[in-house]
Amino acid sequence: MLYLSQVQGQKVWDAWSRPVGRCADILVGNLEQPFPTVVALALKDHGAPARHKNGVVQEGIARHQNGVVQEGIARHQNGVVRGGVARHQNGVVRGGVARFIPAGQISELFPSIVLTVSKEDVQSYTPGGDELPLGERVMDRQIVDTEGRRVVRVNDLQIARVEDRFCLTGVDVGGRGLLRRLGVERPAAALVRLLHRRLPENVIPWEDVAPLQHEDPLRLRISRDKISQLPPADIAAILNDLDRRTGQALLSRLDDEMLADALEESPPGIQVAALSQLAPERAADILEEMGPDEAADLLADLPDETSARLLDLMEDEDAEDVQSLLGYPEDSAGGIMTTEFAWAPAGLHAAEALDYLRKSSDAQDDEAMPYVYILDAERHLRGMVSLRDLVMAPPDRPLEEEADDSPITVAPHTSQEDVAYLVAKYDLLAVPVVDAETNEMLGIVTVDDAIDTMLPTAWKKRLPRLY
Amino acid sequence: MTLRTMLKHRIGAALRRLWFFLAIFGPGLITASADNDAPGIATYSMAGSTYGYRFLWLLLAVTLGEAIVQEMAARMGAVTGKGTADLIRERFGVRVTAFAMFCLLLANLGTTMAQFAGIAAAAELFGLSRYVAVPLAALVVGFVVLRGSYVYVEKVLLVLCLSALSYVVSAFALNPPWGEILRQAVTPSFQSDSQYILAVLATIGTTITPWGIVYMQASVADKGVELKDYRYTRLDVTAGAVWGNVVSAFILICTAATLYAHGMAVETAAQAAQALEPLAGAGARYLFSTGLLGASLLAASVLPLSTTYAICEAFGWERGLDQRPREAPVFYGLYAAIIGLGVLVVLIPGIPLFPIMWLSQSMNAILLPVLLVLVLKLANDRRVMGEWANRHVQNVLVIALTVLIGAITVALFVLPLATAR
Repeated sequence: MLYLSQVQGQKVWDAWSRPVGRCADILVGNLEQPFPTVVALALKDHGAPARHKNGVVQEGIARHQNGVVQEGIARHQNGVVRGGVARHQNGVVRGGVARFIPAGQISELFPSIVLTVSKEDVQSYTPGGDELPLGERVMDRQIVDTEGRRVVRVNDLQIARVEDRFCLTGVDVGGRGLLRRLGVERPAAALVRLLHRRLPENVIPWEDVAPLQHEDPLRLRISRDKISQLPPADIAAILNDLDRRTGQALLSRLDDEMLADALEESPPGIQVAALSQLAPERAADILEEMGPDEAADLLADLPDETSARLLDLMEDEDAEDVQSLLGYPEDSAGGIMTTEFAWAPAGLHAAEALDYLRKSSDAQDDEAMPYVYILDAERHLRGMVSLRDLVMAPPDRPLEEEADDSPITVAPHTSQEDVAYLVAKYDLLAVPVVDAETNEMLGIVTVDDAIDTMLPTAWKKRLPRLY
Repeated sequence: MTLRTMLKHRIGAALRRLWFFLAIFGPGLITASADNDAPGIATYSMAGSTYGYRFLWLLLAVTLGEAIVQEMAARMGAVTGKGTADLIRERFGVRVTAFAMFCLLLANLGTTMAQFAGIAAAAELFGLSRYVAVPLAALVVGFVVLRGSYVYVEKVLLVLCLSALSYVVSAFALNPPWGEILRQAVTPSFQSDSQYILAVLATIGTTITPWGIVYMQASVADKGVELKDYRYTRLDVTAGAVWGNVVSAFILICTAATLYAHGMAVETAAQAAQALEPLAGAGARYLFSTGLLGASLLAASVLPLSTTYAICEAFGWERGLDQRPREAPVFYGLYAAIIGLGVLVVLIPGIPLFPIMWLSQSMNAILLPVLLVLVLKLANDRRVMGEWANRHVQNVLVIALTVLIGAITVALFVLPLATAR
């Protein structure tokens, strides 16, 4: 196997074994492919050794950050390479050697880099803007391992010869890559062999990774498509592990529903940061997608003016739900309840109730629907029936006969600990919250929200993200 | 709107403004308090009691250095949203990173030992054996951090650290020769014996620390300071540096006015505590050890964790308290090793606590240039920093600081050879 670290900095020889320069980087193209092909080899700039990569990008970034051009993001991407092209063209003739050598003229990469042609016949490769410079953009960076669902760091990149081409095949994220970069892979391997062990390989296939650079929208889109396949909790964990800017760049590219789901699983710091990055209209859309309980918690963490404006922008119905929740302390039943629950009016048969539920928008919003509550015209709780019992009941059986007519309830000011205790004691999946004075049913606390405080992960969510 | 709801709104708004203030002001304050941790108190007490007011000018210069360096770290955190180790790795690759992390680990290991030495010294002043107190403290620190209640405990410890303020009160009670103090504060002086050079390095190393840089950048990055609000952060950082060093200066003044005046160069914590006697009389040792304990515990909670995190971040190892130990063996292993080693060294029978506390800081200073050079390069890299790259003045000052530390380090090793001849 061949690795980028074994190629970078190596001398490049022409077909007559004359030195051409040193390899600075490898460019790959066809990024949609599972294993992108090597399209060119970048030579080190002799004038300013090792500075090559800084020089190229500098202009692009400066321009982007000044925010001069709005399509700056798209242009920035091109700008990077465009700057490179310009310099490249200026510097084409330095001892007759091009700055970029096309892959077609490379004969060998390892153990030494040999070209198929003589120095004088080297063509210059003109980057089209959609190549990925591996050393500059991928090496040493953090990427998402979409199989392992975690953020890892690139220790080395694996390149393999496939017929007449070189392909980027994998990412070394293990200790072996680190040792190789330190130049002690062989001694370390020998040492380990003495102990009758082998150095573990930890190479992830390229098709299973998603590189993430916030300054690189093109790649971000491909990565987004991979990452959005993951469960929201994993997306949240990945967002948590990424540095802020990259995390935010990824966030802004997820669709509303996915973003809402991921945000529900994220710690408050991330939520606030993510939301404040978005246009208010989009932020309001995302709040609507979130459960009212989660949305209310998030709004409570925002500055007053911001949350008032977002509430204004939200659909009235959703805004009202959220607003009613904002009044309760965060660690009370009211603070953790959701107002979206399935209910049916009293006096129906089982079949009618199921019909009713299919048409009810409240039932539609209920994410888990463990129980169906029976409410009268004043929204007083008359009973509670598990969805299982309702489905299994004979169609003509009155709902009330199937229901538990005095379910366990809590008041909005009941503490979260007490709710968790009741949920655990009675093995409930959700507990209804009933206003102590009016007896009106306000919402439900689901088991996951109730026991959140009891689990170690919840303590940890309060820690600074850094640890 | 009734009067009650109006009042409620008013108070709510005021509280939120306070919250905003506290949210932005924070990293600076914490690092400033950390200036006067156990090794800090030890270093300034040693300097004041051995050299009188002669270190004040150095402290003044170091304050400037700290403000510049910490601001640079904070700016990098605000602009990139990344940690120092992360940036070093992305910009300089594996070898440089390995070297930098080795230096960071060494420096922080020394400082962690110094914190546990501080805990041991404080416990002994309270009449408690260090063999009980130090392992207990390590367990408490580990438990608090791993259980995640650190944020709450931090506040308690910060309050304990306020006892360092007693030096300020004490200094005014002593009524030292202010004219002389001012004169010394602006007249540079230098001696060329190793003891003096070590003391100079310790003073630099306890004020501008490698971990201070890493911690500052991480907490600003973590807080997600918007660049338009960056000036508040700059204010916080600068104010923190100045404030921390004002307290340091008072420690120096107190020890100089009491101990140096009686020709007593501090060698133990009990002697250092005597600087507070004019204020607290017989209670001085308790006042002193309370401050020492609070500061040491605070730093002992933050330091091993931020070191571990930085190293794991640099090499891409699973990290963070969200992970379970089996998922992040290096993270937890390294964390336990740093604390364990710190505790074990302090428990070696007969090991002198006070010199550990301040000599570890000389080592800090010697290792500091490695990180300074890297941070300087990063802060000048427009690819990383964009328009927020360093200005000329900042560069000149940091380079001067780096060269100065380097020169003093060289002097430390060369001068004894020269004088031996």
